[in-house]
Amino acid sequence: MYRFDYTDLAGGMLLFLIGAGVSLVSVGNYPLGTLQRMGPGMFPVILGVVLAALGVSLAVQALRRTGNRPDVRFFSPLFVLGGVMAFALTIVPFGLIPAIVSIVVISSLAELRIRPVSLVLLCIALSLMAPLVFVVGLGLPIPLVRWPF
Amino acid sequence: MEFLGNIGLGFSVALSFTNIFYCFLGALLGTLVGVIPGLGVLAAISMLFPLTFHLEPTTALIMLAGIWYGTTYGGSTASILLNLPGTPANAVTCLDGFPMARQGRGGVALFMTTVASFFGASFGIILLTLFTPVIAEYALRFGSAEYFALMLMGLVAASTISEGSAIKGLAMMVLGIIIGLVGMDSQTATARFTFGSLGLLEGVSLIALAMGVFGVAEIIMSVRRVKATDIDPDSVRLKAIKPTRDDVRRSWMPMLRGSTMGSFFGTLPGTGPSIAAFLSYAVEKRLSKTPERFGKGAIEGIMAPEAANNSADQTAFIPTLSLGVPGSATMALMLGALMIHGIAPGPTLISDEPELFWGLIMSFWVGNVILLILNIPLIGVWVRMLTIPYNLLYPSVLMFICIGAYTASFSPLNVWMVFAFGALGYAMRIFRFPGAPLLLGFVLGPLMEEHFRRAMLLGRGDFMTFFDRPISAVIMALTGLILLWSVWGSEGVRQRRTDRASSARADQDPTKKSI
Repeated sequence: MYRFDYTDLAGGMLLFLIGAGVSLVSVGNYPLGTLQRMGPGMFPVILGVVLAALGVSLAVQALRRTGNRPDVRFFSPLFVLGGVMAFALTIVPFGLIPAIVSIVVISSLAELRIRPVSLVLLCIALSLMAPLVFVVGLGLPIPLVRWPF
Repeated sequence: MEFLGNIGLGFSVALSFTNIFYCFLGALLGTLVGVIPGLGVLAAISMLFPLTFHLEPTTALIMLAGIWYGTTYGGSTASILLNLPGTPANAVTCLDGFPMARQGRGGVALFMTTVASFFGASFGIILLTLFTPVIAEYALRFGSAEYFALMLMGLVAASTISEGSAIKGLAMMVLGIIIGLVGMDSQTATARFTFGSLGLLEGVSLIALAMGVFGVAEIIMSVRRVKATDIDPDSVRLKAIKPTRDDVRRSWMPMLRGSTMGSFFGTLPGTGPSIAAFLSYAVEKRLSKTPERFGKGAIEGIMAPEAANNSADQTAFIPTLSLGVPGSATMALMLGALMIHGIAPGPTLISDEPELFWGLIMSFWVGNVILLILNIPLIGVWVRMLTIPYNLLYPSVLMFICIGAYTASFSPLNVWMVFAFGALGYAMRIFRFPGAPLLLGFVLGPLMEEHFRRAMLLGRGDFMTFFDRPISAVIMALTGLILLWSVWGSEGVRQRRTDRASSARADQDPTKKSI
């Protein structure tokens, strides 16, 4: 139990920063126009101000109540997002199957224990199934394996 | 006569081989996703969303809709057998469904909820068929001011009513609209927020956003938390599903009342199937002569909510198809599927695309009959699905998400967007920011901006244009009331009162399982 609701305080300040940033970028870069003939900048400026105001009111409320520790994890997002990143990096230079193997292996680490046998079987099964569905079934042009060097 | 002709047209579209096949596929996948806890309907729809690029728009919508109502059928299975709601809309079904399963009446409960689901869905489809064209015809008179007001009301209602803090919901709605700004401005061709990237000129991909915020973030939350359980598949053999005469007698009225309430709440933005199910349970308990049976395996307690959530699933299409204003994130995805194919949603949809509209609605009958067949004889198969370990499931889902994002435009940029929105989605879970308003804002944002600018142009730059026109003024006034009520009610009064109880309440609310 904390004295303030720090989760909402941080969330509110973050929203304020995003809103202020959006407004400033819009004012600086896009013509505002008039209320009758709005330029591309008007709508974003309004939205940015509204978001910033909502962020401030969330943060102010957070100061008036106590809060609990948020449940933040480190390894789950690291490995799950790491797997997605590995897929994005490998799909074009190396092709579909290496991309599948890398996302499956890396994201499996989020379990924080390695089951070698089931992991190998899962990789094999998915490497067979995905080409069958996407390349054979839907006829999408994705190279299965490539060697860029 | 014209009405019958439309129905006939609808069936001729819905009963084509391709459409039956994709309807079956959608219903099957929906049931599967509904049965397995830790995989939400939005994650499932966004996972299969890329497929719709390669299909006819009607077929694509038929499949996506099948997933949507299929999950509600399937969701009751996990509620009854495991006391874990497969989807938030099935959370109340746990209250009496699980006790029934423990009394050895699990088979009866599964059978009867399928019947209730079918009954509720049929009720909803009939209303949908009757009312959508009428509302659309009325809405043909709307101008830009009315549209802007209507979309604003839909967004505000959906962001404030559904769950948690109203301010957070509104903030996520605004953030969603801002994300929707990225790309080329449709009126002046100015590139906004692209930071020099050519790929971003086309805007942020709806698929990447939905898959990141709902799919990837959901997986991050569920890893090492969702456990497969072992249940005895023999307990739900076909023999054990026959209801007693007393069960049937007790079920009629709850089904009827549940369907009525479900249909009503399904059409309103922000309420939808979960709230409909909760309220209809409460009504049954209050009306019952023996309220003490509730929570101990009363059949009324599963029939009413299951009829309510399924009818709400169907009537949610009424505002989406007649006005082009979706009331929930799932409906926003349906609209997104239409827009990707270049079909403008709105009241002209029915007259411009009669095959699509009537074909989609009549496919609901096909889909619900398929679900009836899938759920009653094959119930044992679904029960076995519950035993698939999550450590095999989530890498596979993640792989499908990435391949889907990549094939949407054959560019790794979309996969990077999934990465970015996955991170954003996880951050939103930490800060307890809801995801549905973000997606709704993202889909409606560009339309809102267009109508806003046009209305201001026609109104000579005067904001009063939204209040001078009677229809728009009424809608704006309602929006204002919703805002006042929710901000004052939830932040001011309720918050202070629950301060003391907040720690106790934190993890007990079954609806907190995200969509």
